[in-house]
Amino acid sequence: MLNINYPKIDKKSYNDIELSLEEPLIKINLRGKKKDFFTKVGKILSIILPTESNTSSSNEKFTAMWLSPDEWMIYSKDNNQNIIFDELYNEISKLNHGSITNVSDQWVCINLKGKNIYEMLSTACPFDFTKFKANKNSTTQTLVNHIDVIIHHKEENNLNLFVRRSFSEHLWLWLNDSAKFI
Amino acid sequence: MFIINCPFCGERDQSEFSSGGEAHIVRPKQPTELSDDEWAEYLFMRKNIKGIQFERWNHAHGCRKWFNMVRDTSNDKIHAIYKMGEKPPVK
Ligand SMILES: [Zn+2]
Repeated sequence: MLNINYPKIDKKSYNDIELSLEEPLIKINLRGKKKDFFTKVGKILSIILPTESNTSSSNEKFTAMWLSPDEWMIYSKDNNQNIIFDELYNEISKLNHGSITNVSDQWVCINLKGKNIYEMLSTACPFDFTKFKANKNSTTQTLVNHIDVIIHHKEENNLNLFVRRSFSEHLWLWLNDSAKFI
Repeated sequence: MFIINCPFCGERDQSEFSSGGEAHIVRPKQPTELSDDEWAEYLFMRKNIKGIQFERWNHAHGCRKWFNMVRDTSNDKIHAIYKMGEKPPVK
């Protein structure tokens, strides 16, 4: 059984850095190449999956992040998550148009806010944030302190960072530690 | 440390990638008809060149896609990057 109390993440504030847990969120991994796949996703979620690398698209309910040429992750605060997942699964996975996986519990979303967040991340991240910062809705998959993460540029100085649950406590401790030294 | 231009994500640090060894090794059509030596040749033997080498790489911590690279193993200079299934752009 999933321990929903793990990791223990409380809101923390440091010098122009604010860290908090952005949960519960529904997260669904979508994979597909066929035309039918894109049509069905568009119809069910009312969203066009971004085809340009390192970008995302959003509507009021969902954000779709580009992960690779045939892979996306969508996330949403909507609590009708099972209905959305079931609909996607039945319409796409079951009919062999693509593959839909519910990864809501696999990933933990941490929100980073403040002027110094890029400076903090850059102390342990090989990714060049210059272009990323300039465009709202940019996304990237990279490493932070050797941990795989997906980062979504939500607003100016406001990031949603996705990390695998098993690594989340480790990263959370690292974020808190590093924030103190910026 | 060097920068690799992933054909899907753009320029990224080498630490996001993992090397998959020599590229363009063709699996024998009829493995059952090969001698042990011939099979070992296909399975284990690699050129391990000092100089221009054709390699497979995987953007392991990014898009997780495989691609090919032409790299000088003596100085890590990357001469070309091309997608899987494409012909090498340089000889
Ligand atoms: Zn890539």
